[in-house]
Amino acid sequence: MPAAPASFLDPALLARISDLALLARTVVDGFMHGQHRSMRKGASMDFAEHRSYQPGDDLRRIDWRVYGRTDRFYIKEYDADTNASVVFAIDSSGSMDFGSGAVTKFDYARFLVASLAWLSQHQGDRVGLATFVGDLVDVVPPSVRHLQLLLHTLSRTKSSGTSQLVHSINRLGLVSVRSGIVVLVSDCYDQPDAIGRAVDTLRMHKHDVIVFHVVDPAERELPGDLPATFEDAESGALLPLRPGELRGKYQSLIEAHHLALSKRIAAAGADYVRVDIDKPLDYALHAYLDSRLARSRVR
Amino acid sequence: MGIGFLVPAFLAGLAALAIPIWMHLRHRDKDRPYKFPSLMFLEQLPIRTSQRQRITDWPLLLLRALAVALLVLAFARPVFTRQAMAGTDTRSKAVVILLDRSQSMGHTSVWPAALDSARAIIAALGARDRVGVVFFDDAAEMAQRLTEDKAAATAVLASAKPLPRGTRFAPAMRTARQMLLDAPYAAAEIVLISDLQRGGTSGIAGLDLPAGVKLRGVNVSANDRGNTAVRAVETSRISDGARTLLAVKARVSTRELLVARTATATLMLNGREAGTQVITLPTNGETVVTFEPAVAVAGEVSGTVSLTDDALTADDRFYFVVPREDALRIALVLPEDAAGDETFYLDRALSIGRTPEIRFDRLRAAQLNDNTLRDVGVVLLWDVVPSTSGATLLESYAKGGGGVVVAAGRRLGAQRSASPLLPARITGMADRLPDRGGTLTQLSLEHALFAPLRSTPDALGGARFLRYPRLDVETGTAVLARFDDALPAIVERKLGTGRVLMLATPLDARNGDLPLQPAFLPLVRQLALHSSGRDAVPLWRTTAESWSMPDAMRDPVVRVPDGSLLRPTADSLGSAVPVADAGLYAAYAGAATGAPGAFLAVNVPSSESDLTPIDPAELLLGVRESARASAETNAPPTADEFERRQNGWRLLLIVVALMLLGETVMSTRGWRAVARRYRPVTPERSER
Repeated sequence: MPAAPASFLDPALLARISDLALLARTVVDGFMHGQHRSMRKGASMDFAEHRSYQPGDDLRRIDWRVYGRTDRFYIKEYDADTNASVVFAIDSSGSMDFGSGAVTKFDYARFLVASLAWLSQHQGDRVGLATFVGDLVDVVPPSVRHLQLLLHTLSRTKSSGTSQLVHSINRLGLVSVRSGIVVLVSDCYDQPDAIGRAVDTLRMHKHDVIVFHVVDPAERELPGDLPATFEDAESGALLPLRPGELRGKYQSLIEAHHLALSKRIAAAGADYVRVDIDKPLDYALHAYLDSRLARSRVR
Repeated sequence: MGIGFLVPAFLAGLAALAIPIWMHLRHRDKDRPYKFPSLMFLEQLPIRTSQRQRITDWPLLLLRALAVALLVLAFARPVFTRQAMAGTDTRSKAVVILLDRSQSMGHTSVWPAALDSARAIIAALGARDRVGVVFFDDAAEMAQRLTEDKAAATAVLASAKPLPRGTRFAPAMRTARQMLLDAPYAAAEIVLISDLQRGGTSGIAGLDLPAGVKLRGVNVSANDRGNTAVRAVETSRISDGARTLLAVKARVSTRELLVARTATATLMLNGREAGTQVITLPTNGETVVTFEPAVAVAGEVSGTVSLTDDALTADDRFYFVVPREDALRIALVLPEDAAGDETFYLDRALSIGRTPEIRFDRLRAAQLNDNTLRDVGVVLLWDVVPSTSGATLLESYAKGGGGVVVAAGRRLGAQRSASPLLPARITGMADRLPDRGGTLTQLSLEHALFAPLRSTPDALGGARFLRYPRLDVETGTAVLARFDDALPAIVERKLGTGRVLMLATPLDARNGDLPLQPAFLPLVRQLALHSSGRDAVPLWRTTAESWSMPDAMRDPVVRVPDGSLLRPTADSLGSAVPVADAGLYAAYAGAATGAPGAFLAVNVPSSESDLTPIDPAELLLGVRESARASAETNAPPTADEFERRQNGWRLLLIVVALMLLGETVMSTRGWRAVARRYRPVTPERSER
């Protein structure tokens, strides 16, 4: 898949655009430019393949012609666009208000959600939003007409406070009674098992879950060599230390955390995408669309 | 080390050294902390936080602590106390000679000995040593400033001679102290050349000499201290028909005579010999010489009583001035219904006393006329006011210098009198019987009326007044005393050159007990004298006092005993002239021609005739010294040297400023600046 021009997707450049709608449109248009395949398929159903009948399948979907030729029951499967509900859940806790570069993690997350929501809206999906810190803060129910409300809510949301990620994910399942897609954007500062269990809960509600794990380069690297006092962005706790002496151990811990998150979320049947905020947005969009395509097939 | 501090209290500021230490122990926390998304993983790492409490930047800490310490020291104003710290000492020894020139130094053998002692002291000084000379008696006179010119100092001694004055060491010592403070010296000595009379030591107690200054007394008193002196004189005028005789008694004291001897006492009145007595003087004691009464003029009489000369001749002559014919006539005006004993206490009070003698005539108000007022000094209205014509007469009498005293009582209180003669209106009677009597308060003790009571200001406090008139003072009337209910008790109004006094205080024993108080006699006598315009005049004064010119004398000129003329300077209290020398002073109005307007006799204090010396060591008993260190180490520096010694604070402030500048450079340059402005290193962004 050819890449979109980086100039349209560079976070540093996007940070200059204050209007989220314009930003999302810029991102999506830039991203979609040069795509070989349109995501729009129209309202009709396209045949995909046959498969053997399984007890419980709808009898109306049995291809009787094949039965007449082979004397066996086959079910016809179709590729079809869905009108799914997509709920974007964005972590607006204090830890997201961190960025060692041009944008903070929260800014990047907003760009990402705005772009994905624009993209989803133009694919006919219902889009909704949920921001959470210790609990859900703002909730925009999924609707085909809620894109502007979503963008407005997103633009006025500030990142602060202490996160309770697992509790908030559990509450997400109640936002939409219909199964849909839950796009979770967070820095995932919690135990992987706990996050995995929360995703399990979402999956039990028949939601497809995509977890975007936004990571700042400084979080990976633990920069600096001289003594310094580190302050927890959420709790305000101070910790004086020498980063240079601890970097190796820290990096080991953070890599182990990312790996554990990846495994546990995958085990829950969800997609885990780690997004480095110093990278252009197309990487995340690709990951989203790949996942979206995989789930657009109705069986 | 020899360092002291002018303001050692500032050394408490050294406690501020804890501030940089505390800052260095805590400075990381004071830096802007680096905000990090989560410490979840960092807290899992084994971090030895105890290291954070250690001081990591010793050079910067030491620099800051040293700057604080030096700043505190600068404020404490260090001063170098050793000579070597401030440079080479170029000063020399200083000697101040205090030469007594009081009357007692005129003793036959004393003065030459004193001069010889002074010359010997000057001659013994080194070439670079300095000497100063102070002559003293009652007061001190700096005859020669500290100088290396010994010849000049010796020459000054020739101008000194004993004067008829008293002795006081304290002014001389203070002058010497000031001379030494004004000039640097390495060693200093004050040499007191005197006959060391005990009477001269008053005022020495508490004298503070500079540290290290030696005080040495040179006793030049005579071996034979036998002395005879006229100590006092008493006079009285005696009427002898048409003449007035003056009786004079002199008191002659003798001290330490080897044997009793005879002497001739001579009385001189107005320059003429008025009597001679041959007396036998005991070895120690006092002899009263009574001269035969001599005819004297009615005016002031100046006189002397002199004895046969002895070794100390100055105190063998005693001066006195007898006031003019001093009988004071009072016209006591009584009401028609006055009882016979109503003025009993007043009569007795006025009758007692001499110089002046007080005579009084009883009159009725209707008898007041020019004839009855002739030669009358005071008109005392006893609870009565004259008629309008009489009041007019008295008013003109007062304006001409006479005195009018109104003793208000129940009669005037009942009449509620408001005569224009009175300085206050009488509005009724105050009855203080329920209060067991009122008392006097707010006495104007500075007023001449209360001059005899100044030493015992509470003397009138015990008097109780049961009934007295209520006075309502007029404008221009001074209230000299009040009752405790704030009503005026004694008021005075000046009329021309005379005065009118009004007393609400009962002068009889019916309405109060003032006549029974000891203060009654001096008060009544002073009331008569003051209202007549002649306050009590002593027969003589002592040296070092001052003579206040009479109010009536305009532009006075005073001829002093040595014949020179003085023109007293006038101030708000009138004109006065200091009487430094013993002798006869004469005051003239305008110019020193004609008959003097007033005389004053001045004698030296009788203590000057006591030639018994004190031990020189006693001089030091009352003298304080700042420290017992040697003069070489503790001699007071000059102003310039003192400034040089304590100049270090400026240097310290400069050093502190440089250190703070260095601290600024150190803490904002190099790795410290990086630490302070810490920003995490942004990982290199990967470009797609």
